[in-house]
Amino acid sequence: MATTPLSANSHGDHASHELPFGTLVGILLLLMVLMGLTIGASYVTLPSVGPIPGIVINNLVAVGIATIKAALVIWFFMGVKFASALARIWVIAGFLVLFLMFGILGDYGTRKFEQVNGWETNVPHNGGETALPRVWPPEGKPSSTPEVEQGFRPR
Amino acid sequence: MAAIAHDTHEDHGALHHQFENIEQQNDSYIVGMWTFLVTEVMFFGALFLIYTLYRSMYQMDWYLAHEELDVKLGAFNTIVLLISSFTVAVAVRSAQRKERGLVLANIGITIACAFIFLVVKAFEYSAKFEHHLYPGPTFGSVPEHLNGANANYAQLFYGLYFGMTGLHALHIIVGIIVLSALFNLWWRKCDSVMKDYIPTELVGLYWHFVDLVWIFLFPLMYLMPKPH
Amino acid sequence: MSAIPVDPTSAGNGVISQPTPAASETNYINEFGGLKSWLLTGDHKRIAILYLISVTFFFFLGSLAAAMIRWELTAPAGVVLESDTYNKVFSSHGVIMVFTFLVVAIPSVFGNFFLPIMIGARDMAFPRLNLLSWYLYMAGGILILAGMINGGVDGGWTFYTPYSSMYSNSNVTLVLTGVFIIGFSSITTGINFIVTTHKMRAPGMTWFRLPLFVWAHYATAVVIILGTPVVAITLLLVVFERAFKLPIFNPELGGDPVLFQHLFWFYSHPAVYIMILPAFGIISELIANFARKRVFGYHFIAFSTLAIAGLGFLVWGHHMFISSQSMYQGIVFSLISFLVAVPSAIKVFNWTATLYKANIRLQSPMLYALGFIGLFTVGGLTGLFLGSMGTDVHLTATYFVVAHFHYVMVGGTMTAFLGGLHYWWPKMTGRLYAEGIAKANAIIVFLGFNLTFFPQFIVGWLGMPRRYHYYYLAPEYQVYNIMSTLGSGFLGIGFLLPAFYLSKSLVSGRKASANPWGAHGLEWEIPSPPPSTNFLQIPIVLDEVYDFDPVTEYEQDRAQQAIENSHEHPGMMDSHDETASKLEEGGH
Ligand SMILES: [Cu+2]
Repeated sequence: MATTPLSANSHGDHASHELPFGTLVGILLLLMVLMGLTIGASYVTLPSVGPIPGIVINNLVAVGIATIKAALVIWFFMGVKFASALARIWVIAGFLVLFLMFGILGDYGTRKFEQVNGWETNVPHNGGETALPRVWPPEGKPSSTPEVEQGFRPR
Repeated sequence: MAAIAHDTHEDHGALHHQFENIEQQNDSYIVGMWTFLVTEVMFFGALFLIYTLYRSMYQMDWYLAHEELDVKLGAFNTIVLLISSFTVAVAVRSAQRKERGLVLANIGITIACAFIFLVVKAFEYSAKFEHHLYPGPTFGSVPEHLNGANANYAQLFYGLYFGMTGLHALHIIVGIIVLSALFNLWWRKCDSVMKDYIPTELVGLYWHFVDLVWIFLFPLMYLMPKPH
Repeated sequence: MSAIPVDPTSAGNGVISQPTPAASETNYINEFGGLKSWLLTGDHKRIAILYLISVTFFFFLGSLAAAMIRWELTAPAGVVLESDTYNKVFSSHGVIMVFTFLVVAIPSVFGNFFLPIMIGARDMAFPRLNLLSWYLYMAGGILILAGMINGGVDGGWTFYTPYSSMYSNSNVTLVLTGVFIIGFSSITTGINFIVTTHKMRAPGMTWFRLPLFVWAHYATAVVIILGTPVVAITLLLVVFERAFKLPIFNPELGGDPVLFQHLFWFYSHPAVYIMILPAFGIISELIANFARKRVFGYHFIAFSTLAIAGLGFLVWGHHMFISSQSMYQGIVFSLISFLVAVPSAIKVFNWTATLYKANIRLQSPMLYALGFIGLFTVGGLTGLFLGSMGTDVHLTATYFVVAHFHYVMVGGTMTAFLGGLHYWWPKMTGRLYAEGIAKANAIIVFLGFNLTFFPQFIVGWLGMPRRYHYYYLAPEYQVYNIMSTLGSGFLGIGFLLPAFYLSKSLVSGRKASANPWGAHGLEWEIPSPPPSTNFLQIPIVLDEVYDFDPVTEYEQDRAQQAIENSHEHPGMMDSHDETASKLEEGGH
C-alpha cells in the first residue's frame, strides 16, 4: 500500500477486463438454475442432522443458495474478479461488519440461560411477578422522604 | 461548478481538475462506488437482522402469514431482475468495447425489466391492500387471509415485508432514473460516456446491488419452509 | 507584508518547494466573488468555511439550551421551566449538540480543509459530493430546528422506542427525518475521505508519511461508512412506525423495543469515535508541532486509531446493561469495553512521552492540547466505571454518566476543536489573532469546564438521576448544581470570547505568513490563505512526517525567545511571526 497513487495507477489498463459474452450467459443460466433449486428446496422437508433440527437445515440451504447467487453476481457481474485489492477489501469489510452486527442475536440467544421473570421475550406475563420490588418503599426500609411543604408540586 | 471544472490537462474530455490522470480518476470512482455500496449493505443488513430475529421468534405464525404471498409472481420477478442484471453486465461490456448500439439496446432492456418488476410488485401490493394485510388498525379484518396466524405477529411480518420490499422498490425507481440518464447520455453520444466506460460501470454496479438485495429477499419472503 | 512569498527554506525541508506564486494575493477567499460563488463552490476549503459557520451557529443554539438546563437546576424544585418544557430543552440540547455539532464539526471543518492539503492533493476526490454533503447537513439541520420550533421533542437524543414511536408528540418524525438526512451528509463526507486518502496522495506521500490527522480522519471515515447506515435505517423505521404504523419495534404486536437500542447503539457507540478520533488527530498535530518533535511511537498511534475504530464496533452493549439485555452478553461487552481502553491509553502515553525533554512552545493551541490530554484521561478512566457491569447498575442514568461523556465530548472534542481552530486560523483566514487573550481563553475554558462537570461526578455518584429538573427530595445536591452552573458561566465566556477575538482578527488582525508557527507539514508550505488549487504544482514528498531537527529547533527557539523578550508586546503573536521568518532563513 506504500506505492504512490501516480505509480499505482500507471498500469491500470481497464480495457482488458471484459468478460467473454459466453461467460455472462453461463452465469445467467447458473443463477436461474439456482433459483429453481431454492424454490424446490423450500417445499422439501429436510431431515435433521444430529442436534440441528430439519427446519434449520432448510433455512441454511435457502440462505446458502442465496449466498452462492450473490457471490456469482459480485464476482462476475460486478467485476470484483478484476477489481483492485482495495475494492475487494471493501467488499470483505462490508460483509464482515454486517456479520458482526448479527452479534445482536447473541443477546436473544443467551437470555434464556438464566431465567429472570420479565426478561423473556414473547412469554405471557406470569401474574405480575417481576424482578423489581413492587412495594415502595421496599419493606424494612423506612421512607426517608423529607418534609415537603404542604401543597408543593414541582413545576 | 464552472469554477472547478476547468480542464487544464490532456485530451481526455472527462478528466476533472483534481485528478492527475484518467486512471487515478477511474480508480477513485470505482472505489467510491464500492464504498457507497458498503453503506447500502449495512443499510439493508440491519433490516435482514430484524427479519432474522423476528422470524426465529415467530416461526409458525410467519410461515402461515407468508403463504398469502404469490410464489409464482415472486419467481417471475426474480427472473426479470436476473435478466436485467445480465443485460447491464452486457451493457458494461459493450461500453468497454465502445459498441454504442449494443449499449443502448441493453440499457433499454434493463429499464424495461425494471418497469415490469414494478408493475408486478404493484399488483402484489394491491392484492395485499384488498385483503387488509397492510399494517394498521384494520390489519387482519379479513381473517381468512391470515391462514390462522396470530394477527399481531402476522402484522409484524407484513410490516417487514412492506418495509423491505418497499425500500427495495425505491431503489429500483432510483435505478430507473439513473439508467434513463445514462441512456440519454449514450443516445446523445456524449463524450463523458463514449470515451470512458466508468459512468456505465458505476450505474451497473448500483443495479447489480439492487438485484443482489432481491436475491436474498425472494427466498426469505416467499419461500419459507414449513416449520417441523 | 501583503505579498508573502513561499519561503523555500521554511520548516518543511526536503519537500520540493512550490514555485513562488506570481501574485499570491489571489487565494481561495478572494479569487471568486459573490454569494453564488460560495454556495455553488466545489472547493473543499470554501465548503469547510461554510461548515465552520453553520456548525458554530448550531453549537451556540445547543449551548443556549445547556444554559437553560443549568439555570433550571440551581434550585431543588426548579427555577423557571415546566417539566414538559425541561424535557424538550434537554432533548434539544442533546440532539443539536450530537447530530449537528459533535459528529460533524471536526471532520467537516478541519478534515475538509486540511485532509487534501496534508496529502498534497488539489481537492477532494469528489468535490460536488462534498458540496452536496453541506446541503444535506443544512437541510437536516433546518428540519431539526423546524421540529424544535414547532414544539420540540421530549424523549432525549436517543429516541428510545416505544416512547419515541408510540407516545411522543409528532415532532419526532420531523426531527428524525432531519437526523436521517444529516446521516447521509456524514456518509458522503466519509466516502470522500476514504477515496481521497487512498487515491489522491502526492508522489512520495506514503502511508507512514501521512500526518496522524489524516490517519485519524481515515479511521473516522471507515466508522462513518460502516455505522451510519445502521442508525439511518433504524431511525427511518421509527419514522415509518409513526407515519405508516409499520410495527417494527412495537411491543404490543410482539416487536422488541430493546432491538431498537441494540441497533441504535451499534452506531452510536462507534459514533463516539466519530466524534473523538478526529480530535485525537488534531491533538497529535498540536503536540508534535509545539513540542517540536516527531510524535513518540508514530506507528502505534496510527494503528491504535484503527484499533479503536475496529473495537468500537464490538462494545455497543455497554449502554444496555440494565435494558433487559442478557447478562451473559453484558459480560462480553464489559470485557471488550475494557479492551478499548488499551489503544486510547497508548495514545495518551505516547503524547505524554512526546512532551518528555521536548522543546515545548506554550502557545494557545498547545494549551488546548495539554488541557485535552488531562480532560480526556479523566473522561476515559471514568468510562471504565461505567463499563463494568456492577458499578454501572448503580451509575446508570445518573449525573456520573453525564459528567463522563461531557469530559469526553466537551473536554475532548470541543477542546480539540478550539485548539485546531486556533492552530489553523492563520492558515484558513490569513490573519493572526491576539495571542494573549487566546491563551487566557484556553485557561478559562479548562477551569470553567472542570468547575462545571467535576461536581457532576460527585452528585451522580450520590445518586442524582439525569433528565430530572428537580431534586427537592435531596436538597443536598444543590451545592454541586450551583458549582456546576457557575462553571458553565465561565465555560460560556470561554466559548464566546473566541467568537469575538477571532472575528476581530478578520478585520484588524495582522496578516499571517505561510508558516506562523514554524510548524511542519504540507499545509504550511503554501501561502496563507491557500490558493484555490492548493498547490500550483503537485508536490513531491521527500521527507518524513514531523521531521524536526532537534538541534536547530533548540537554537531557533532560544534566539526567538531572546527577540520576543526584547519586543514591546511580548504576548502578541504577530511579533513572533516577523521574527520567525527571519529565524528560519538564519536557521538553515
Ligand atoms: Cu459506548
